[in-house]
Amino acid sequence: MADVKLTIAGRPYDLHCEDGQEAQLLQLAAVVDEKARAMAGGTEVRQLLFAALMLADDAQDAKGKIEKSEPQSDSLRAAVALAESREAAARDELRAAMTREQTALKELEAARQASSAAAPSAPPSHDRALLQIADRIEALAAKVEQLP
Amino acid sequence: MELDLDESSLAIGRIERALSRIEKALTDRANRPAAAVQPATADQSALKAEVAAVIGELDRLIAEADRG
Repeated sequence: MADVKLTIAGRPYDLHCEDGQEAQLLQLAAVVDEKARAMAGGTEVRQLLFAALMLADDAQDAKGKIEKSEPQSDSLRAAVALAESREAAARDELRAAMTREQTALKELEAARQASSAAAPSAPPSHDRALLQIADRIEALAAKVEQLP
Repeated sequence: MELDLDESSLAIGRIERALSRIEKALTDRANRPAAAVQPATADQSALKAEVAAVIGELDRLIAEADRG
């Protein structure tokens, strides 16, 4: 325990408090002393009475402000919760879309492999035939252009 | 696979351009005065035979492609 010497409304008081709380106690005493000195000219008891009343008034004001701000805090909390749930839903949707895309890519690759296995030589032979026809039609065009 | 597709596209493009050239040459020829157009020669008969052969080859290719 720690010993603390306080002075409130001009009178010294010796108090004990837990170790480490001395500074807080001195600060609280300074607040009470300030309120008591605001009622100068009265008796010590009256000064302390008014200090107690003013502190009670401050406490009530503070409590009212907290209660007033609570609905706002509630709506903020609700907005945050809504945003979080929407973000989670969007993330799930994105993951599902990615899965669908990967599945479609796999299906496409499988279809590509199946089609190339089913018709291994047909496209190249068609290409060769097309290229030969292109050669012949170009030669024909040159001849037609040179017709008298 | 991609090379095949490119070669096909290239060949088809060449065929289309050559056909346009033939069409233009024939249109020009049809628009010329009759006196300027010379009668058919042996070369032109060979040309007709080549046209018929190419058309036959194209028909064969199309039929093959249709069969898959």
